[in-house]
Amino acid sequence: MPATDCQEASSASFSSLGFSILSRRRDQVHSMESPHEATAQEIELEAFQKLVAERFHELAASNSGELLTIPWTRKLLEVFLCIQEEFRVIVFNKKGFLNKPPMDRYINEFFERSVKGLDVCNAIRDGIEQIRQWQKQLEIILCALDNQRSIGEGQIRRAKKALIDLTIGMLDEKESNTALAHRNRSFGRSNVQRDRKSFGHFRSLSWSVSRSWSAAKQLQALGNNMVAPRPNEVIATNGLNVAVFTMSYVLLFVMWALVAAIPCQDRGLQTHFSVSRQFLWAVPMLSLHERILEESKKRDRKNACGLLKEIHEIEKYARHMNELIDSVQFPVDRRKGG
Amino acid sequence: MEKNLSFSKNGQNLSTPRAFRFEHTFDRYPRSRENIDEEYWNRVQISQDIDQLTHVLSTIDDKSNPPDIPDCVETFSRIVESIIAKYNSGEINRKFGKMTEEDAFFIEAVKRMSKLANAFSEFPSSASTSPVFNRISMVLQRAMAFLEEEFRSLLEDCRDNPQSNYDIFLKNSSFNYKNQDQSDQRETESCDFPAYSLEVVTKMNNIACTMISAGYETECCQVYSVSRRIAFNEQMKRLEFEKINMDDVLKMQWETLEGEISRWIKVVKTCSGSLFPGEKNLGESIFSDHPLICGSLFSNLARAVVIQLLDFAEAVSMAKRSAEKLFKFLDVYETLQDLIPAINDSCSHECEHQLTWEIAAACDRIGESAVSIFCDLENSIKSDVAKSPVPGGAVHPLTRYVMNYLKYACEYKNTLEKIFEKHANLERSLPMSSKLSSSDIEKESESPHNFETVESKTPFSIQVVTVMDLLDTNLESKSKLYRDPSLRYIFLMNNGRYILQKVKGSTEVRQVMGDTWCRRRSTVVRQFHKNYQRETWTRILPCLSHDGLQVNGKVNKSVLKERFKIFSTTFDEIHRTQSTWVVSDEQLQSELRVSITSVVIPAYRSFVGRFKQHLDSGKVDKYVKYQPEDIETLIEGLFDGNPTSMGRRRT
Repeated sequence: MPATDCQEASSASFSSLGFSILSRRRDQVHSMESPHEATAQEIELEAFQKLVAERFHELAASNSGELLTIPWTRKLLEVFLCIQEEFRVIVFNKKGFLNKPPMDRYINEFFERSVKGLDVCNAIRDGIEQIRQWQKQLEIILCALDNQRSIGEGQIRRAKKALIDLTIGMLDEKESNTALAHRNRSFGRSNVQRDRKSFGHFRSLSWSVSRSWSAAKQLQALGNNMVAPRPNEVIATNGLNVAVFTMSYVLLFVMWALVAAIPCQDRGLQTHFSVSRQFLWAVPMLSLHERILEESKKRDRKNACGLLKEIHEIEKYARHMNELIDSVQFPVDRRKGG
Repeated sequence: MEKNLSFSKNGQNLSTPRAFRFEHTFDRYPRSRENIDEEYWNRVQISQDIDQLTHVLSTIDDKSNPPDIPDCVETFSRIVESIIAKYNSGEINRKFGKMTEEDAFFIEAVKRMSKLANAFSEFPSSASTSPVFNRISMVLQRAMAFLEEEFRSLLEDCRDNPQSNYDIFLKNSSFNYKNQDQSDQRETESCDFPAYSLEVVTKMNNIACTMISAGYETECCQVYSVSRRIAFNEQMKRLEFEKINMDDVLKMQWETLEGEISRWIKVVKTCSGSLFPGEKNLGESIFSDHPLICGSLFSNLARAVVIQLLDFAEAVSMAKRSAEKLFKFLDVYETLQDLIPAINDSCSHECEHQLTWEIAAACDRIGESAVSIFCDLENSIKSDVAKSPVPGGAVHPLTRYVMNYLKYACEYKNTLEKIFEKHANLERSLPMSSKLSSSDIEKESESPHNFETVESKTPFSIQVVTVMDLLDTNLESKSKLYRDPSLRYIFLMNNGRYILQKVKGSTEVRQVMGDTWCRRRSTVVRQFHKNYQRETWTRILPCLSHDGLQVNGKVNKSVLKERFKIFSTTFDEIHRTQSTWVVSDEQLQSELRVSITSVVIPAYRSFVGRFKQHLDSGKVDKYVKYQPEDIETLIEGLFDGNPTSMGRRRT
């Protein structure tokens, strides 16, 4: 029982809306099965394809200002959950069918991919936590400078310190150690050894996944062996494995997009995306993929730890603030070594 | 009497008299007394001057006309800066030991600075106020940066230092863990958490209050939360907690996973029992004046840790389901349930709500898996189809397996009741679920002696009854494999009795099944007993009947001989067939023997007594093969599975 919009009754319109392989199969099957039953399941499956396509078109309709912002990412996740819910409904009604070959293998594969996706989500959580740490530094800067009253030199200094901490926090772990040493000298710290230990952990992205975990490898494994079903396979499963394939691809894309947007351990975007345009959702999904990939290649975003627009905003803001603060002259004789 | 800790820092020997101790009058050193006095009174004076200035500046209404700034501001700034310098160079030892007078003065001075800076900030920038304002502002910033480092250093170094473990253990019970047994204290000694001495905590408390009142709350909280997060993580590592990816969890062999689960359970229990309460206490001590702050700090830590722990539980719930995993799953469920109160006590409302929800969700997943595993028992029973019967009519391995499983499962009765209740609610709310369990229930209610007699009709007890029904059905079909009806009844009796004894022997199972069920089952077993008796032994009785032996008042010898012969043959046959049969329950064994004996012996004895004399004296032994006592002995030997020799016995 499809929970999506109501379908048009005429079968002629199906071939324009639906997935062409399914339509082909329907003609073959008509003679074998009771037409009423075959159509009901087919309606459901085609509705699912239509849903996925519609949602992805919505996502792809965002302009470049909206793409990869936090609201857009949230929309991406909502789309994913919505599609997954539909998928769940479809699958749930066919529980008995799923235990037998060949569906059992496809479902098993999907399950394994989902678990890998869960690990990605756990890693992303760490990235979000890291962004929250940056937010704290921004709070300090705001607290120091966003004042109706006079701002003393000390508060400027405080903001500067927070900016440096922020910049270090946004760096790669390897680059941060030298940066830390500079920072400590300018802020008069006595024990550099200690600082490195605590700062390193502070930025650790290994709270939720093991130290050796790699987002790039995980995505690779998630997308491994993902091939569109062949016509004979489709017939053997009454089109159900097409739904599974679609769901798997959506999962892969969403996970990839999350890794692209949010900092995570060993972030890599090389996952290969190629899917036949016969699938209605292929066009918007591949277009989004291309746009995100392009973003990652831009000069000022190549080394970003995450492609979220907000992260870029923070970087730009920090740079701007830094210049602003450095340009402030103080007339009073300052004590050195402060 | 103070301990004078001797430290050497940067080559300086610090056990020489420190110039700034005033709390003990006998501690003054005559040669520097004047210096001390002068310095002390200078400081008191300056502090008062600063306070006065702050007051004046705050109460001026017309901020466009600032007063002249006295020199005390510059002097005061220099004093504060020099103290910071001394701290940084190590001239003043700051880590261990009490808050010194210098420490106390410094803290107060910083607070004064902060108030003064605040007062100054009200004034628009002008040639007279701005330079001074900037000066103070910078000194304050340096002081805050210093305090921030101090705070971090106290948090980190003391946690690594085993010395303070002893301090806290000996001196301080207020930090301790309400839930600790006396017997656990040995263990807490070695892994005290958090292990800060009272003095260090006091220092940290002072620093925190100072930073917060100066508007540096964010820096203060950042240092605290990062440091505590690392500390907590180290503690978990000490408990051998390792972060395992969900993917890897699902690839593990059960034996390995079982071990990880045990380890995880220990970690979670430690968190509930001592780590979280300890952390909460620490937060409350350090941020004593700011309950909201310490609530939010704890909430963030708890959330991060709990979510991490839940990751594992959820991975476990996705593991391939099989019967032997049930009990470990239930252990996980119970451990998670116990985590909830530890969170509730300490978190902010919103966090508590969120975390409780997350824990409940994880419990639900585990619960669903448990339901699935338990219900799989039904499939195991259904698929246990035998081709050949168990020799000797003994208790079937399936019976043992199922009953032991039920017994073990019912030890978790309360948890399982909760889980099945939740599951039933879930099933009801799903519009399209194929309500398997309820249709099964309808089917099973036709079975006469199980469903109706069970007292409690909770979802779990219904499940148990379903299993019991399936077992009965299965046993019944297995019993039909026996061609000999007597053996069939022995089999049914054995298994029925075993089931009954197992139920009666376990309080929890008995509670589920109820006393009525037990009585009914007893009756059923007795019925099998009677059936057996009828099948086997009552067919031997006709030949011991006194009727038909006398013709015209005279005993028919040939009929009599025939009767004796039939009896012996029949008895031999029965004995031969049934001597290998086993009745494992001792009581049942003796009941059987007694009832058989009571049927056979009196009849035989009376027959022999009445008619033996009519046999030819030389031929008695030929026909009277057994004396009544022999029969008795042979019957006594039945049902223990040892075929006894059939040798003749003479009395």
